Amino acid sequence: MSMEPKSGQQPPDPVQAARMSTLPAPFPRQSAAPAIKTRRFALWRLRTRVAKILLFVVSLYLFILAITLMKEGARGLAPLLRNLLAVGSTASALGFGWLFAYAIMSGSPVAAAALTFFDAGIVDKLGAFAMITGSRLGASFIVLLIGFLYVLRGRDRATSLSMGLLALSVTASTYLPGLLFGAGILHTGVLDGVQMQSGALLRSFIDGMVDPVAGIVVSLVPNWAVFAVGLGVIWFSFSLFDKCLPQMTLKESQLGWMSRLVYRPWVMFTLGALITLMSMSVSLSLSILVPLSNRGFVRRENVIPYIMGANITTFVDTLLAAVLLNNPPAFTIVLVEMFSITVVSIVILLTLYKRYQHWMLGFVRWITASNRNLAIFMAAIFFVPIVLVFVR
Amino acid sequence: MRILIAVYGSIHDKAAVSLGAQIARRARVAPTLLAVASPNGKKADSLLACARESLASERADAETRVETGSVVDRTLSIARQGGYELVVVGEGTDPHSVLRRWQEPVGVRIVKDAPCPILVVKGPPRPIRRILLCDSGAGSPAISPFADEIDPTRGAATPLRRFATRLVELLAGDEEVTVLHVMSQMSARPGVRGNQLRADAQELIQERTPEGELLEADVQMLTLPGVQCYPAVRHGLVVDEIVAQARDGDHDLVMIGAHRGPGWQRLLLDDLASHIVRHVDRPVLVV
Repeated sequence: MSMEPKSGQQPPDPVQAARMSTLPAPFPRQSAAPAIKTRRFALWRLRTRVAKILLFVVSLYLFILAITLMKEGARGLAPLLRNLLAVGSTASALGFGWLFAYAIMSGSPVAAAALTFFDAGIVDKLGAFAMITGSRLGASFIVLLIGFLYVLRGRDRATSLSMGLLALSVTASTYLPGLLFGAGILHTGVLDGVQMQSGALLRSFIDGMVDPVAGIVVSLVPNWAVFAVGLGVIWFSFSLFDKCLPQMTLKESQLGWMSRLVYRPWVMFTLGALITLMSMSVSLSLSILVPLSNRGFVRRENVIPYIMGANITTFVDTLLAAVLLNNPPAFTIVLVEMFSITVVSIVILLTLYKRYQHWMLGFVRWITASNRNLAIFMAAIFFVPIVLVFVR
Repeated sequence: MRILIAVYGSIHDKAAVSLGAQIARRARVAPTLLAVASPNGKKADSLLACARESLASERADAETRVETGSVVDRTLSIARQGGYELVVVGEGTDPHSVLRRWQEPVGVRIVKDAPCPILVVKGPPRPIRRILLCDSGAGSPAISPFADEIDPTRGAATPLRRFATRLVELLAGDEEVTVLHVMSQMSARPGVRGNQLRADAQELIQERTPEGELLEADVQMLTLPGVQCYPAVRHGLVVDEIVAQARDGDHDLVMIGAHRGPGWQRLLLDDLASHIVRHVDRPVLVV
């Protein structure tokens, strides 16, 4: 239906290309009788679906294995983190989570690590909470980094950086108030009673299928390296999970109109939350917006509430990690994080959304207005977490 | 064209009557003046007297009608029953409603359920010389997925374009029409070629983008003897850019399309028409 010109087509998306490379080859276009074509198409679709289901199962298994390894390995890291890096205070935990996410270019493994550190007694409740918050601030940097590389190659600043800057700004402006609000909730213990148990089935699965493999790894590598192996496995599990998502289906659905129509803020908020519930990654949810328009555009009005919604359900995997750790206070920490961000987001959407929208877009415009402003901003997002790490 | 002018005690009643009378005189019709008074009918005479003064200054006459009750309900009801093609009303709060402190302004509420184009008047009365037509492309297949909005018997003309043409024909003198499309898009990721996000109207028309084709079609349809028509593009939030363009261009009238569509569309899509009516400080015609 769209008559968008071919001259406006965007360059190939590397994320999509990687995703497609692990799936069965595209359906071959050969001349054949219609009935044979239909049967072949049905078989191809079945193979694709089975491949995706298998990928999902494998990624889930690897996720559970990774949490088990990280739990075991966290105890070995305790002396290093306590003495060398001195991750003791809330501020230092926030900075550590932030920098850690920069280092591994992902937030979810850092959030899972925060829970394993809490389980091992390296950080307290508030420290784990702050580290998870820091992981989200660091995770928003990934989209920004890619944009920055394009700017260095001569591309327009605003075009390359706007989405990354907006994601980071919205995240910071909701998570930091959420940190204060959530700290209060943790202190009062209001949500301590809300728990989810892992269940006998999951427990027996872990005992039978995961613990033996984890035991082999623990016996083969030094204590401190077990955690690193677990981190690598969880990172790999997320990349496998990315490949399971029905991206092209989304394009042909009504989501494909997101570049052309202006939706109500609560609609985009809900959509961002639902899509990230499936993808479990904010950067992936944002990258899904790309193929929804032949020109790679989205409406400004749609983006901010979408990011706000995505920032809430991105914790679903961390919630699962807390269940797997069988540590009720860890579950509470993640629940409080989700709850506090939800409350802050809803308050913004209901009371001062228009002003908030102007502030965020105005801030992005200021940063991209000149190289000097951009340099100040980039320096700040590195300088601040480094300073926080050294706060006692 | 059947025109209904509603007065109810708003500070913009005089401007509404003046503007409605201008259009009626050009269309060579006598408008209907509807005075919506308080339930006890006390203010009806004063409303009509003020309105007649404004009509006299425009050298126009009108048949009058008095109703009591809610301004929005009575106006919409009369508009539907009488088959009016244009309703003119001054912006303000409904003085007869106990909930007026918490309700949206009359113009915003009427626009949501209107059976015909609504001209919401605010600001001092002034002749219409400079018109700002804001086309989102909602009826154009190049931009909107809702192709069923277009009536194939009327070619590619959207309701907004058709009414704008009719209005411009009525006012044909020395009018200037600016056709504005606001691109509020931004790049969804790095690496996207964003030159269209900075292009002006002429560049978009030359590149034959959907927005350029829309503007070109609008300009072709609205270019009439004595009327100058210019395409314009702004980049930013839709409501902000329309408000800014109306102010910067000192336009006398802003024309926009209504928030329409089947149930789910109205629920999911943002009601930009209401936001624009609320924030623009001059007359807004919602088609």
